[in-house]
Amino acid sequence: MGKILESLPLTIAAGVILTVVMIFATEAIYDSQMSAPEKAVSNLIDSM
Amino acid sequence: MEAELFLIRYLHVISGIMWIGILWYFNFVQIPSMPKIPDEQKPAIGKVIAPEALFWFRWGAFFTVFFGLALAWRSGYMMDALMLKQPNIGIGMWLGLIMAFNVWFIIWPAQKIALGMVDADADLKPKMARRAMLFSRTNTMLSIPMLASMISVQNPIM
Repeated sequence: MGKILESLPLTIAAGVILTVVMIFATEAIYDSQMSAPEKAVSNLIDSM
Repeated sequence: MEAELFLIRYLHVISGIMWIGILWYFNFVQIPSMPKIPDEQKPAIGKVIAPEALFWFRWGAFFTVFFGLALAWRSGYMMDALMLKQPNIGIGMWLGLIMAFNVWFIIWPAQKIALGMVDADADLKPKMARRAMLFSRTNTMLSIPMLASMISVQNPIM
């Protein structure tokens, strides 16, 4: 980790990767909190 | 209520620009430029510019968190966000809190030693300078998802 943080370009790349991970984690948390009917509606909207 | 929320959000954003602006100044400008500065000119950075920048940096961090929590509290979503029931803003809040902790309890104490603002062994100074740099870089890395999280509240990504 120290090697990544010593380099500014690698630090930025790590930040971008973390952002992508965060986007999927956010989606996964939302999905896990949805009830079955909410999930069905959400899937229907996504497929439109 | 609307005017109050506007004012708190405005102060939160202004403080955040002060904080992250100086964080990025340190990481994008000052740290990479230090090896190029002649030794006799380095005290201008270490004795004048860096201490002044650190003052606005740490208080920017404090007031960003202060107004951010006030905004979440007055808007009624603070607990839901912190418990990740609203993960888009919640993850950003946690990243911001971790970053502010780094500023006040790791970077600032290490910089005080590295810049000679407090008495310490000469051997300790380079060690503390490296520590401050690594945690400052950590905050630069975390600022990228943190800002994405904050913006995603108004403009959902997925």
